[in-house]
Amino acid sequence: MSVLLATIEQSGSTGEQIVFWVCAAIAVVGAVGMLISRRAVHSALFIAATMIALAVLYVSQGAPFLGMAQIVVYTGAVMMLFLFVLMLVGVDSTESLVETLKGQRIAGLALALGFAVLLFAAIGNVSYNFAVGIDGANAADGGNVQGIAHLIFDRYLLAFEVTSALLITAALGAMVLAHRERHTPRKSQREQSEDRVRSGEPQNLPGPGVYALHNAVGTPGLLPDGQPTDRSVPEPLRGVSAAVGVDHEDTRRVNALAAGGAIIPGKAEDES
Amino acid sequence: MGEVYLPILVLGILGAAFAVFSVAAPSIIGPRRYNRARLDAYECGIDPTPQPIGGGRFPIKYYLTAMLFIVFDIEIVFLYPFAVAFDQLRLFGLIEMAVFIVTVLAVYAYVWRRGGLEWD
Amino acid sequence: MSSLLAAASFDVPTIEYGQLSPMLIIFGVAVLSLLVEAFAPRGSRRPIQLVLVFAGLAAAFAAVVMIRGTQHIAAMGSVAVDGPALFMQGAILVLAFIAALVMAERQVDPLGDAFAPRASALPGSTDEIAFTRLGWLQTEVWPLFLFSVGGMLLFPASADLLTMFVALEVVSLPLYIMAGLARRRRLLSQEAALKYFVLGAFSSAFFLYGTALFYGYAGSVDLSAISDALTANAGSMWLVITATGLVSVGLLFKIGAVPFHQWTPDVYQGSPTPVTGFMAACTKIAAFGALLRIMYVALGGIRWDWRPMMYVIAALTMIVGTLFALTQTDMKRMLAYSSIAQAGFMLVGVIATNQAGLSGTMVYLVAYGIATIGAFAIVTLVRDSTGEASHLSQWAGLGRKAPIVASAFALFLLAFAGIPLTSGFTGKFAVFTAGIAGGATPVVIIGLVASAVAAFFYVRVIVLMFFNEPTSDDGVSVVVPSGFTTLAITISVALTLVIGLVPQLILDLANQAGLFIR
Repeated sequence: MSVLLATIEQSGSTGEQIVFWVCAAIAVVGAVGMLISRRAVHSALFIAATMIALAVLYVSQGAPFLGMAQIVVYTGAVMMLFLFVLMLVGVDSTESLVETLKGQRIAGLALALGFAVLLFAAIGNVSYNFAVGIDGANAADGGNVQGIAHLIFDRYLLAFEVTSALLITAALGAMVLAHRERHTPRKSQREQSEDRVRSGEPQNLPGPGVYALHNAVGTPGLLPDGQPTDRSVPEPLRGVSAAVGVDHEDTRRVNALAAGGAIIPGKAEDES
Repeated sequence: MGEVYLPILVLGILGAAFAVFSVAAPSIIGPRRYNRARLDAYECGIDPTPQPIGGGRFPIKYYLTAMLFIVFDIEIVFLYPFAVAFDQLRLFGLIEMAVFIVTVLAVYAYVWRRGGLEWD
Repeated sequence: MSSLLAAASFDVPTIEYGQLSPMLIIFGVAVLSLLVEAFAPRGSRRPIQLVLVFAGLAAAFAAVVMIRGTQHIAAMGSVAVDGPALFMQGAILVLAFIAALVMAERQVDPLGDAFAPRASALPGSTDEIAFTRLGWLQTEVWPLFLFSVGGMLLFPASADLLTMFVALEVVSLPLYIMAGLARRRRLLSQEAALKYFVLGAFSSAFFLYGTALFYGYAGSVDLSAISDALTANAGSMWLVITATGLVSVGLLFKIGAVPFHQWTPDVYQGSPTPVTGFMAACTKIAAFGALLRIMYVALGGIRWDWRPMMYVIAALTMIVGTLFALTQTDMKRMLAYSSIAQAGFMLVGVIATNQAGLSGTMVYLVAYGIATIGAFAIVTLVRDSTGEASHLSQWAGLGRKAPIVASAFALFLLAFAGIPLTSGFTGKFAVFTAGIAGGATPVVIIGLVASAVAAFFYVRVIVLMFFNEPTSDDGVSVVVPSGFTTLAITISVALTLVIGLVPQLILDLANQAGLFIR
């Protein structure tokens, strides 16, 4: 830490210091928040905050390529995939904190601690004798991104081209593991309309009851006899009809209105 | 050195101010006529309901779309330095980038032919 | 801004296409194979894929033979084309060829090949039943297989850690997917894929971290530059030791060395058996190739620092692998633990850090790989009505039901045990003599004891097959395979015998390969 402080003091500029301290605080808060939040979605959003803060730091340290990759790839793509996967698993599902292997947590903590000590010892001893600094490195090829370009398209050309194999494998694997191929031919529009006529009910389904009392399409429409009908509710919402529910109080009011009764107090007055 | 960051600071203040203004202004200058339908939360057309047990899982096809997006998104990492240093890399860089993109396009062709881009 | 105008000029890099041709051929064929999946009609995919795969593997092997004797660091310092690299590339291609034969089998399972008709269908769902009834095949295994082989060719030849990391991922990603494609026991297979993926990604991260620390030490990820920095005694030893440890974790995981072996039994058991054979044989060669290259080229100068660590790991791997194999009741799990124990024996060759250790390990890898693919091929043949009968008790009396198949399996087990006149003896002998010459005598003694114990459980299976009565009407039978598996087993038996009876052939080949270039 003292090394870090010293570095900051050397760097001098107040603007840079402000950026550093603001972003560092966000990054650390995000990292801690990720660890302690119980809901996976909150954790994911915390990581996103940390990553954006890190990206700002990279850019302000003279590494725009890294900052950009951090935003586009990690915050943009990888975090989005995290969120998708959370949605697939179920956004409300919380982590089970039951220990299935006995003593695993303690063993894990001990190993993590040992690993941390080892890494601190190692990284604390990094030698800088070949380092030229980011400005020196950037100057060599006329800019940070240019320097990266030279490395990718020259020295590491093969690794770069072979990376395409990785991308192919990823897409192919996603298709193999997740794509449901059709094994029956898709119905043409003509077949669909024929099926509809044959079903004995070719007309439109009754519209939803969205007009007077609710603005939600999940509200069932009323049949001429005043009974609510589930068939007016879009099919995906029917499964949760218990939650959508029919407000019988509303129904009574509407029936009273239809019967020519007076406006019942409590009903929306200024609805034109 | 510090003044370099002044535009960023101004931009940040402007952004925050706009957000606060957008939220606050309607409640101050807008007409206030309330009724029940107006007070209903309008969330994609259905009454807000508690999530079903298990948290309302998404179908797996969203994953496929996300994964395909990422694969082509990663290409940007290479396209960016290529585009910036294009004048230095000249024809060779163009060829190498083309080889890379055409290779990845092969899997795009596969996804397309197998119906990975169709929604139903 | 002026620096922008003074931009450095860019010279077109030299790429030695001829020397890279084996892997370029495989990657090219892999992309072709993907296009076949995209554009060929369903019925013709399988035959086209088989032609592509076998022709591609043969062409790549021919390319390896053509460029034999090359000693050059190609592709701007990314790929070391030298004797050991070419030896291992050749071995991987031959073994991949045999493994592909087993994967192409479609006759032993009445429902189709070894792979799920559609891996995306829920296990047991009506969709899956419909796909099975339609007889659709998941031919996507072939491009995946080829990409993995391509990565395996690059892995032991990588001359810098960055290329090596990309190669490691190219090897692994397709394997993770292929592990989840078994037709029978889908849930076990999916569990295997998930475990392999999560632990594999974890170990890759270790490798990457170690690479970063090496860069922090040497200012370069080139293996020769790391070696130079060590010679110059440039920086802190702490850093190098930590980096060595982290990079080793990544590679030892792929090898399946204790304590990074936990995935092995589950993954070997859950994966489709032909893929298990491929994985066990070819991944080991590629990963050992990479480990040998790092340890010999980059870290040869500090061998006194990493050898104690390797001593412990090799001894643990041999002991744990052997002891756990003794207690297994499932054939695939037993072979998995046996592969762990074998990895321990091979590590003796790594520890030796001399020319004999290098060539001995290579010979052992080839001998083990051939026997492994053969053994797993035979596991696919012993079946009951629900699929492979992999419980040990179901193998009782197999020698009476199918004497030829049982004899071939017995031969592979004897090779694993390292009995003289089989390939396993050649390998063990080469590795252990190298170990003694390299001053690793205590580990060799542990290895000899472990071999003796290991021989016990291999022989136990042979006794079970030949001297026990078959359990009456348990429905287990040995299926007659098509020419693919028959050819694979025949080649494996023949090579196991040849390497055992005329060891000089392969020993000379491995010795001629010489040392890694710097």
